[in-house]
Amino acid sequence: MSKPVLRVQDLAVTFTSTTGGLLQRRERQIRAVDGISFELNAGETLGIVGESGCGKSTLARAILGLISPNRGRVQWMGEDLTGLDEEALRQKRKQLQIVFQDPVASLDPRMTAGDIIAEPLWTFYPHMERLQVEERTRGMMKMVGLLPNQINRYPHEFSGGQCQRIGIARALALNPRLLICDEPVSALDVSIQAQIINLLRTLQRKLGLALIFIAHDLSVVRHISNRVLVMYMGQAMEVSAKADLYRRPLHPYSNALMKSVPIPDPELARRVRAESWLTGDMPSPFQRPRGCIFHNRCPYRINRCEADVPALRRMESGDWVACHRAEELDLSI
Amino acid sequence: MKQEGILRHAATRLLGLIPTLLVLITIAFFLIRVAPGGPFDSEKALPPEIRANLDAKYHLDEPLLQQYFRYLGQIISGDFGPSFQYKDWSVNELIAQGFPVSATLGGLAMLLAFVIGSLVGIAAALRQNSAADYSIMGVAMLGISIPNFVVAPLLILGVAVYAGWLPAGGWDWSWQRMVLPVVTLALPVIAYIARLMRGSMIEVLHSNFIRTARAKGLPERVVIRRHALKPAILPVISYMGPATAALITGSVVIERIYSIPGLGSYFVQGALNRDYTLVMGVVVFYGVVIIVLNFIVDLLYAWLNPRIRYDETQ
Amino acid sequence: MTRWKPIWVFAVACLAGLAACGDRDSDVGGPISRRPEPVEMVLLEDGQPDRAVLADQQVVRRGNGEEPATLDPHLAIGVPAAHILRDLFEGLTSESADGDVIPGVALRWNISRDARTYTFYLRRDLTWSNGDPLKAEDFVYSLRRAADPATAANAARMLLPILNAREVLAGELPVEELGVSLLDEYSLQITLTGPTPYFLGLLTNPIAYPVNRRNIEEFGEQFSRPGNLVSNGAYVLSDWVPRVEVVLEKNPAFREADRTIVERVHYYPVEDHSTEVKAFRAGEIDWTNEVPNNQFRWLQKNYPDELVVSPWMGSYFLGFNLTREPFIDNPSLRMALVLAIDRQILADKVAQFGEQPSFSLVPPGMDGYVPFVPEYADWTQEERNHEARRLFEQAGYSEERPLRVEIRYNTSENHKKMALAVASMWKQVLGVNTTLVNEEFRVFLQNREQKVVTQVFRAGWVSDYNDPYSFLELFRTGHGRNDYGYSNSTFDALLDEIGTERVRARRERLMFEAERVLMIDNVIVPIYTYVTKRLVSRQLRGWQNNVMDHHQTRHMFKLRLRGDPAAEPAAPEQPDEPVSAEEPPQAAAEEPAPEGEPEGQEP
Repeated sequence: MSKPVLRVQDLAVTFTSTTGGLLQRRERQIRAVDGISFELNAGETLGIVGESGCGKSTLARAILGLISPNRGRVQWMGEDLTGLDEEALRQKRKQLQIVFQDPVASLDPRMTAGDIIAEPLWTFYPHMERLQVEERTRGMMKMVGLLPNQINRYPHEFSGGQCQRIGIARALALNPRLLICDEPVSALDVSIQAQIINLLRTLQRKLGLALIFIAHDLSVVRHISNRVLVMYMGQAMEVSAKADLYRRPLHPYSNALMKSVPIPDPELARRVRAESWLTGDMPSPFQRPRGCIFHNRCPYRINRCEADVPALRRMESGDWVACHRAEELDLSI
Repeated sequence: MKQEGILRHAATRLLGLIPTLLVLITIAFFLIRVAPGGPFDSEKALPPEIRANLDAKYHLDEPLLQQYFRYLGQIISGDFGPSFQYKDWSVNELIAQGFPVSATLGGLAMLLAFVIGSLVGIAAALRQNSAADYSIMGVAMLGISIPNFVVAPLLILGVAVYAGWLPAGGWDWSWQRMVLPVVTLALPVIAYIARLMRGSMIEVLHSNFIRTARAKGLPERVVIRRHALKPAILPVISYMGPATAALITGSVVIERIYSIPGLGSYFVQGALNRDYTLVMGVVVFYGVVIIVLNFIVDLLYAWLNPRIRYDETQ
Repeated sequence: MTRWKPIWVFAVACLAGLAACGDRDSDVGGPISRRPEPVEMVLLEDGQPDRAVLADQQVVRRGNGEEPATLDPHLAIGVPAAHILRDLFEGLTSESADGDVIPGVALRWNISRDARTYTFYLRRDLTWSNGDPLKAEDFVYSLRRAADPATAANAARMLLPILNAREVLAGELPVEELGVSLLDEYSLQITLTGPTPYFLGLLTNPIAYPVNRRNIEEFGEQFSRPGNLVSNGAYVLSDWVPRVEVVLEKNPAFREADRTIVERVHYYPVEDHSTEVKAFRAGEIDWTNEVPNNQFRWLQKNYPDELVVSPWMGSYFLGFNLTREPFIDNPSLRMALVLAIDRQILADKVAQFGEQPSFSLVPPGMDGYVPFVPEYADWTQEERNHEARRLFEQAGYSEERPLRVEIRYNTSENHKKMALAVASMWKQVLGVNTTLVNEEFRVFLQNREQKVVTQVFRAGWVSDYNDPYSFLELFRTGHGRNDYGYSNSTFDALLDEIGTERVRARRERLMFEAERVLMIDNVIVPIYTYVTKRLVSRQLRGWQNNVMDHHQTRHMFKLRLRGDPAAEPAAPEQPDEPVSAEEPPQAAAEEPAPEGEPEGQEP
């Protein structure tokens, strides 16, 4: 593999939750992302999975600098993004882009599809000629499978899948090198999901993008990823090559995720999962368990898990895992 | 196509105004007549002969229905009739004199309130939950909760009596005499708009398409101006329709305290004096103003929101 | 955080300011010490001020209450219009600064022996403001217009003493039959139905002012607009913007123009008393129409020289509905309630403006009449309470069987305070449970008139003219404002007698007797007599207090301010003021009786 384009080191994002009035103010910390590290090579796709609320989206936005991290570094092409000021960071948008979860709501309802796609061009190439902008916009639309004559339509005149195509066209308009897809298909019908994922895979190959693909279940990630990062409560449990993960997950949490049946309704899914394949509740973000963060729900826990925090360590296979018992457990599917 | 839709929409709305007004006139006409007492009652009783002469002069001796149709006939020709109280003036003249004053004050107050209220609200929203935000909203809360009959005398006392910078009251169309009433009228509206604007701006700023706009790499001010402002202003616009109507038709309190010849006092005085023609004139006029302003708000909405515009053309 | 400190400071200051001010905005010291002083007044032998003490700008700005309803003198109702009309017009008779009736357009008059025929002899060479000569026929035309049913003048009731006026108003006789006849170019005769001692005073009322026929025929209903109105008084109408101001300019054609010093008068309709006081304090007006009741002490302390409080010919009282329980045929109960209130406290602590506690109906100071004073007026309140308790028990009430009663008043802070105070005195002395009911003015009037739901209600009267009869006639059987349902044939007979009696002393005795009958019947609970209260700039002089509260601007003038640079150097002594040669030969043959104001309502 080639040299990594993106290197994330010990990235942490903490939110402050304020309760009470002006006088009796209580501040509590929520560690949304808690020391994540990984690398990404050019043209590679990294899948990130985890339950809702595990910090995936926060991680994505922290990488892009849309949220400033409290700790750690994000190196893009060897340059540390966390040290950049707002304007320099803004300039990086040409190279780093993101596609969001809810395709319809993510588009400004008062703008036409064409304007939405063209807006990044106006912003970064203010001197580009109108015709040129329009030509490029139509080109982008064609590329993502939209009809160029829909350029003057408003988002509400498109279906959800079409909106996500607009979102992708918009993200790609500036020719980025990295594209983060934050649950891009979770709001779409299953039939449409496949279309969008295929489109992304095609585009990635065609454009040689580095891709981070975030999802809450492993089945979606499977189609597109080279490697997969499994997240739990802001921490990485496992980072494995796709083939390894789906054959023999290293972490009990990965294993639990694998066993989960994909259920279309996320609300229902969360309930079913909590009852059926994970023992115990997800701990409150304010009371993080000592030791291994997963130990209270882990069927394989030993005393050590309650005391020591397992480090994310490299296994012989080249995969990474944060579990004291990774060697001894055989979690083959 | 879209233009046509708006025009057709406008025409329908304007036609719809006629039955609305007719209902308004009818209800108002009989309601004010039901009120006990009449325009010529006073603590000095009138001899019956004089009372009869007055009733005859103003057609109050006719059956009520006949008076109603007489009044409708008058209104259709655009004549609100003579005022019972202000005998030297017709109701048309009184409205023509009072409305420009009220409309100027109310319009200026609304403009001031809109500009300042929006800016303050946006400023607070951008600093959500900071000390600045709490301060602004605290002051706004005060602005809403202090009634203008408290604010106005304080302003007069401070600015006119002690400092002597501006006149204490009266009217001559000079800016000096407009400042205090406009400020007094605007204060609660500024506060209200600021709160409204802050709330809707915060909501919009948390919406997904704003996240998208930021991700696109737009500078924050462009994000606000191009994407957040229009949707955030929608609740303010819909509040402004009726609020503007209320402001430009005059405020009795402000008019009393600042001695301003606006429209508001005519309504209240007219009702208290049972000045039937004056009350009716002002009510009908209010009705038209409110309908027209709501109509303008509709058009603004359509302009600000393509979804509505689209639906109208269906 | 520090960046936003000013906002916090501002917010706290706002709160503190609010807390400190409350409903009275009259606390801080203010610019009292730097109020400019006028120069000492110097009067010449003819009573006119020395020019040297006069301000250069003789412009008077008067607060005038509500917007005048109309400036057509015959249609005018209300005090504000009357103030302005007295400057614009002059009737056959006029008033001096202290309110005495003096010759106006009429130079002199004769009254027949039966006191029913008045012959007026007009001054010659008088003109209207448009140059038309002012003649007797103008008055004949004007009085007929005022009585014409087509004119529908509210105030025409004041013309009822004139022969055939009632029939003319009722449309039963043509206006030509009104008892007013032209004798020659400069004299006319007015015939009355009976002796009316206050008739000369009535003639100072706007209803009796002349209007210019050509003017009315030219402009119709719009003749009273600025630019149109032709008048004969000391001033002419120069501008009128409704609810902004009425501006009058000196009328050079007025017969005493050379003795009229004020060049221009602004009448401002300032409805809010507090605003009016603030405008006065800011130096924007010289004369307020009123002052707020709750600022008396503050004004007394800070504006002692400007605050003018003077008796007015009005009475404030409560009325009993004699047609319903519990007051029908129950004089003991009524008497008990009349006795059980401490008027001194009501006047001093509730009314607060120097109002005089009252034990009778007619206010003192009306044209020499001395009101009836009941025996209990000399008692201590303790004695009155004692007697009240006795009568209360006699009427069948006691601690065990308390009286429930209702006081009804038109919605107003002052009426409410008064009703509360009375209720608490009744409660304290007699254990009466009183309910307070307030109503919008016209609803209240209607309920009073219908006499169905009322028990005790707020009443009061401000006279139309300076004569006690105007108070007494309210209680005549069948009178339109007899909301008490009072009917006493002795009383009615006395009123009839007063109507025909032309000897002043006898008439006064009859009125006294009528008032005594009324007071013994305890139809009302007298409380206090009214005062007028206003702020007047110390620069403004020439006016005098009078019970009618009539103040023509032509009597006024403005003093120079001390240190006014123009005051010292140029003082060209010009004492050649023409002394008015024409003195009324026999004006005061019969007692003058100036009119009063309409509108006794809601003072």
